[in-house]
Amino acid sequence: MKVQGWLFLLCGVFFAGVDIAYWFWTKAEMGSGEPVGTTAMAISVGFAFMVGYYLMFTARRIGAQPEDSKQAEISDGAGEIGFFSPSSWWPLFLCLAAAFAFAGFVIGFWMFLIGVFLVIMAMIGFVFQYYRGNFSH
Amino acid sequence: MLPVATASAITSTTAAQPYRRPNLVSVGTIVWLSSELMFFAALFAMYFTIRSVSEGRGLAWNPLMVPNPEHDLNIPFATVNTIILVLSSVTCQLGVWAAEKGQVGKLRFWYIVSFLMGAVFIAGQLYEYGELASEGATLSANAYTSVFYLTTGFHGLHVTGGLIAFLFMLGRTYAAKRFTHEQATSAIVVSYYWHFVDVVWIGLFATIYIIR
Repeated sequence: MKVQGWLFLLCGVFFAGVDIAYWFWTKAEMGSGEPVGTTAMAISVGFAFMVGYYLMFTARRIGAQPEDSKQAEISDGAGEIGFFSPSSWWPLFLCLAAAFAFAGFVIGFWMFLIGVFLVIMAMIGFVFQYYRGNFSH
Repeated sequence: MLPVATASAITSTTAAQPYRRPNLVSVGTIVWLSSELMFFAALFAMYFTIRSVSEGRGLAWNPLMVPNPEHDLNIPFATVNTIILVLSSVTCQLGVWAAEKGQVGKLRFWYIVSFLMGAVFIAGQLYEYGELASEGATLSANAYTSVFYLTTGFHGLHVTGGLIAFLFMLGRTYAAKRFTHEQATSAIVVSYYWHFVDVVWIGLFATIYIIR
């Protein structure tokens, strides 16, 4: 996983170099540095470093992965991947509630407030879906 | 086809112990935070575009000039507020370290502290908005105030979202009979989000209050 981390970190270094070059280039061409592209690229540096840092510290925690070994078999990657909800109605309710709330911006503030209440209810349902009833643990 | 049977040695190796795979909840959170970062990149780009266009037209950019030239941003107040938000990231991380050791009591304590500090930050933001609006610097007063409220406002909404996430996360630790990896994962990804929102604020603070 370190390889992936380095890919992102090196992208970040590249963006940083391009960013500096861009600032001085536009300064030479137009008299003042162009701020928008410089900002966007500076944030791209942060973006690449964020992902790179995450991959590096995850690599340090979980050790080598099957992807890192040339001798690895497909089956080495088998096993539990994570918990996936088999089916759920809550995302639908949450989206309907959000749609209701945002329609409130157009129709009236009262509708937005009711929508916020519905969104909170749907979120509670979604977050605690596997903590209640048959699933409580 | 050869008339004899052939066989080859089995070369596959079996791992001595199964690999520890990355936690998909945290991977997903990082992917989502990447898109959040690009959302804020658009806001920053908007800030600097409107700033350069205003200056190019010879319009006043420096804070809140148009309605009341003598008024300015309350920088000491915003600095204290910023320090509170940055420190809430520290307390949040203390909570994560407790969660990793399975100490649910400590986790709850530090997350409640972080929640309260985040709430103080939001209250401070609202106080600042109230002060500015009463001085005539409303959302539609001029280009600067529009940009100011949009950038800090979207950040404030994100902090509010983080506060709600803290509540849900604390609720999960109370709803579960035993504290397991599942709740620890929730705590960790909420902390990722909180640190992210904190770093974005440092960028916004530097842009709006320091560089100006």
